[in-house]
Amino acid sequence: MPSDQVVFIVTAVVLVFLGLASMVYSRNLIKTVMSFQVIVFGANLTLFSSGMGSSQAYMSQTFVLFSIFVGASVEAVALALIVMIHKKYGTLNPWEIRRLRH
Amino acid sequence: MSFEVALLLSIALIATVIAAMFSRSTSLSLIMLFYSSLILGIIFATYGGILPGLVHIITFAGAVSVMLVTVNLMTGESKLMIGSFRLALLLSIVSVPVVGAATYQLLQGVSTSSTQPSIPGVTSLFQFIWEFRSWDLLILIMVFAASMTVIVNLFSRKS
Repeated sequence: MPSDQVVFIVTAVVLVFLGLASMVYSRNLIKTVMSFQVIVFGANLTLFSSGMGSSQAYMSQTFVLFSIFVGASVEAVALALIVMIHKKYGTLNPWEIRRLRH
Repeated sequence: MSFEVALLLSIALIATVIAAMFSRSTSLSLIMLFYSSLILGIIFATYGGILPGLVHIITFAGAVSVMLVTVNLMTGESKLMIGSFRLALLLSIVSVPVVGAATYQLLQGVSTSSTQPSIPGVTSLFQFIWEFRSWDLLILIMVFAASMTVIVNLFSRKS
């Protein structure tokens, strides 16, 4: 029977691929930010599960904390940019924005 | 912790993320992402990472969700359809006793644990934050301050 660590690493890989797939699939910039958040979830879970049951648990938890705050900060900046883009172009569809730029 | 608990939490996390990513409504995606943040925080807290779990819930389920809702409402992408009023009423009727029972049980646990000498354990539980994590907190404050500067700069431009 696989251990908890293996289960969480597999879950993290699934989360990263789901986030990437949704990022490619979505036609809305807010959904793209949400996909980025899911990828950050996967990265955090990988970092956390890599330190489970070892003497380096505090180290991995420190990296998780750092990743949480960097991810949240990046998302805050991305959301601010989205508001600016919506003010300028009136849409959040990336293809429409590219068309309006030219 | 048993293997089944890890599997159950992982399945719940993946299910909520799939519902968030592939639903057409942005509001539903937000709600599901909120739940997935909660589940991931519970995973961290259950498997020994109390501080990352709490910080994860506070940051993603709290701050980032509020920011997403705000941007969603500002840009008008949200179609805030609550749905069936009867269903909402039924859910409220079901959830109020559950929350009441959980709170009662929680308060009972506090009253019984206060009689036991468990205060040194609780103190040592959070003591490591200040012993090992002071530099981490400083780095986090720096990252937040930098991002807030960028946001204030973006919003302060008139043109």
